[in-house]
Amino acid sequence: MRRGLLILIVFATLISTFLVAEQVELKFLHRWPDPINQPFLENVVKDFEALNPDIKVNIQAISNDPFKEKIKIVLGTSEAPDVFFTWPGEFTNRFIRAGRIMDITDALVETGWIDDFVYSQLEPFMYEGRFYGTPYRIDAKVFMYNRLLFEKAGVDFVPETWEEFLVACEKLKKAGITPIAFGNEQPWAISHYIGTLNQKSVPEDVWLKDLDPAKGTWDHPGYVEALKMFTQLIPYFSQFPNAIKHAEARANFFAGGSAMMYVEIVEIPYVYRDAPVEFQENWGMFVFPNTGGPGNQNYLTGYPEGFVISADTKYPEQSLRFLKYLTGREVGRREYAEVGYLNGIKNLFDEDEVDPGTWDAVQLVMKAEAMANWLDSSLHARIWDVYSVQLQMLVDGVTTPEKVMQEVRKAADRVRAEF
Amino acid sequence: MKSYRRRPGRLLGVTLTNAFMWLLVIIVVYPIIWIFINSLKSNSELFLNSFGLPSKAMFSNYIDAWNQGLSSYFMNSIIVGAVSIFFTIALGSLCAYGIARFEFKGKNFIFYLILGGLLLSPQASLVPLFRMLDFLKLYNTYWALILTYIAYRLPFAVFLMHSYFLSFPKELEDSARIDGCGTFTTFTRIVLPISRPIVASVAIMTAIFVWNEFIFALVFVEDAKMYTIPVGLANFKDALNTNWTAILAGIIIASIPIIVLYMLLSKSFISGLTEGSVKG
Amino acid sequence: MILVFVYLPIVQNFYFSLFKMSSYSPTKQFVGLANYRMIFEDDVFYISLKNNTLYAVISVICQVGFGMLLAIILEGSFIGRKLKVFFRNVYFMPSLLSVTAVGLMFYFIYNPNIGLLNGILELIGLGDLKTAWLGNPKTAIYAVIAMSQWQYTGYIMVLLLVAIQKIPHEQYEAAEIDGASSFNKAIHITIPGIRDMIVVCTVITVIGAFKLFTEIYVMTQGGPYNSTQVLGTFMYRAAFAYDEMGYGSAIAVIIFAITFLASLVQIRFAYKGNN
Repeated sequence: MRRGLLILIVFATLISTFLVAEQVELKFLHRWPDPINQPFLENVVKDFEALNPDIKVNIQAISNDPFKEKIKIVLGTSEAPDVFFTWPGEFTNRFIRAGRIMDITDALVETGWIDDFVYSQLEPFMYEGRFYGTPYRIDAKVFMYNRLLFEKAGVDFVPETWEEFLVACEKLKKAGITPIAFGNEQPWAISHYIGTLNQKSVPEDVWLKDLDPAKGTWDHPGYVEALKMFTQLIPYFSQFPNAIKHAEARANFFAGGSAMMYVEIVEIPYVYRDAPVEFQENWGMFVFPNTGGPGNQNYLTGYPEGFVISADTKYPEQSLRFLKYLTGREVGRREYAEVGYLNGIKNLFDEDEVDPGTWDAVQLVMKAEAMANWLDSSLHARIWDVYSVQLQMLVDGVTTPEKVMQEVRKAADRVRAEF
Repeated sequence: MKSYRRRPGRLLGVTLTNAFMWLLVIIVVYPIIWIFINSLKSNSELFLNSFGLPSKAMFSNYIDAWNQGLSSYFMNSIIVGAVSIFFTIALGSLCAYGIARFEFKGKNFIFYLILGGLLLSPQASLVPLFRMLDFLKLYNTYWALILTYIAYRLPFAVFLMHSYFLSFPKELEDSARIDGCGTFTTFTRIVLPISRPIVASVAIMTAIFVWNEFIFALVFVEDAKMYTIPVGLANFKDALNTNWTAILAGIIIASIPIIVLYMLLSKSFISGLTEGSVKG
Repeated sequence: MILVFVYLPIVQNFYFSLFKMSSYSPTKQFVGLANYRMIFEDDVFYISLKNNTLYAVISVICQVGFGMLLAIILEGSFIGRKLKVFFRNVYFMPSLLSVTAVGLMFYFIYNPNIGLLNGILELIGLGDLKTAWLGNPKTAIYAVIAMSQWQYTGYIMVLLLVAIQKIPHEQYEAAEIDGASSFNKAIHITIPGIRDMIVVCTVITVIGAFKLFTEIYVMTQGGPYNSTQVLGTFMYRAAFAYDEMGYGSAIAVIIFAITFLASLVQIRFAYKGNN
């Protein structure tokens, strides 16, 4: 009997060591194959592997624009990654509907993991009451401006309302300064303007309903109003917006070629990395001016980006461990130090630990009542296809706001019919 | 000289024609030189003045481009290219030789089946190929590219080599066979060495094809670490943001190998291209 | 292997084109010919078709027509022997570069602010013509087409050059005795002598025009607002950017039909040429 027990124990130990020794491989897909983020994430993975010897993480990366196409392809293959990057909102929701993303609600709630996050940054990852991912990088859209050029043109105020904003633009233009840098070769750039204007010009409940592809009708007059307001800005933009990349326009803005630019707060690190010292010492930020429209004016446009786990993963427990590490506090602090991004963890830093630009930006985000998702990733792919084409035409002045919305409504009707 | 005296208009004709041809040379070459000059500037210099000479030649742009992924794209292209070339030639020459030298049932059918591959545009097969490679678990591997490249280059290789094998005398092989060589040894010892020029043409054409192929490399491989040169280069446009001078350096680096190859082997190039008469 | 990777996909294409399916969800739904009907109702399809045709026509005129002129000049007696080889190699070189590299190159050349083209226009006093070549829907497709002429005219020229060299010398000598001018020789001997090659070149240029993809993908991605969309990018966009794999397959069937027909013509003439 005792002998039998002994054998059993030895056997069990053998099995368990065998199990522990067996390494599982996770496939991890992100969207930053650039010389700053890539090495950072490689190091994060290395440290994670050192802490978790039973897991090996294979990193793959696809850059931003191709990512939007590739992720759909990749999720359709048998090679789907275990942990991968995504933009919350409709971009992710369609994958959730197709059953490709793992529900992590229980893991979040049961262990109290949920309390680590700033809730407003976690909420975007919720779909029909369940959580599917965690934020890796928080973001919001603000106007950056060049104080020197404002002074030169005699603009002695920071615009808070739409009227003030237009006055500032006019003054700058009169002084021979290009008021707004705008690069729209990839039309996500205009989507950020229109997303903000839509949200501010349409009552909140109508706007939220329209973002749902199963219900959206897009027939509220506020959408046309939003486009009309946008056309007021066209004379103030830099030349050839549709032929210039956003990053190119930004380089020009940093160099003093224009006075303002609508940018994401994740672009702040570029100020310290790329801009001339003169700009670094004389820039400021303000939120999109109050338009007086019927939408909630205390929203901020901008949505976190994060990571989710594939529903097909063979290693849900290991994937969760990696996700928790990747979007956790320790990585978050290093992330800021090494690549300049902030993740969604509560009280990550004290004021004296970060640069003033980032600190101000974070305060803006915390002050906002809620976040409005990016227009492009909040729309159904086929509606966005039509919308983006129409918006580029609007920039060139070859269509009218009414016609744009007519086309969008047609596309929305077709999509709605499929649900 | 005699002819000049006979027709006075000729001198004018010669001058104008030569001037015209030189103008075309400038149109062809100047853009490349412009890219090269700018690839040596710093980024801000490029934005301020894209026409002047660089104040200081920044070869570091080349190092940047190389380190930011180009080195691995290069390796990927070389691996995929080497394997594809090897198999295209091995399979293609055997196939062509068999068809050119031996009679067997269904020979014509097989020959036309292979040649028919020349008619089909790879692009049209993108979706089914993608699903098939995924089904075979080859998606996102070198094999996804190698297998499809071989499949699409084989018809061309067989076509070229077949007509070449037909054109040289059978007596050589017969005498080898009398000396006691088997069919396979005859093939490797006698036929292939004589066929060096055509093998070289096929190899070069396959090399150019692999070096430049874009759409398969774009769809069948997902990881940035696995990109071949063309896709990697296109990806530079996104990944490097405004580090334009590094992109320019990348363009130059990616173009050098083929140009060097051409300078060394321009004869085989021209014959390969003209025999094949297929673009892109 | 050819069967599996080359022929099977063509058959599968027909099959897939009858379904509505997306790359990431496992289900597919039979829709019959609805995808084809959708294509014919899609404005972008007609833009694409128009662009491919435009590309084909301009390429034939420029690459085959102008290429032939260059070939005749290079084979004529106006250019010194050493220069001939030099010109041939220089003109031929761009066709060796990868389309991606050339596409990126021209992306910079057409840049409105720092590009070479606008710079030159400024320099020769045509500053008013400056525009964002790839960002302006009126010029974008022509800008892409122009790049291809830059790249491929030399290639077609070399093909024709080789054909000219195959024309027996006696024909020219006989003509010279009759006192024919260079122009007459070109019209009466050279062009008829390379007729088959001209047809082959025309056909491969047309096929190339309908295979167009990389140039557009690298330079404009079909924009601004679809003005540079071609069948290849239209198909890619449908299948891989908008999850409409069935729709993409249906477009692929159409591309297949066009290029297949053109190739048949090519093979016919190429064979005639060889015998």
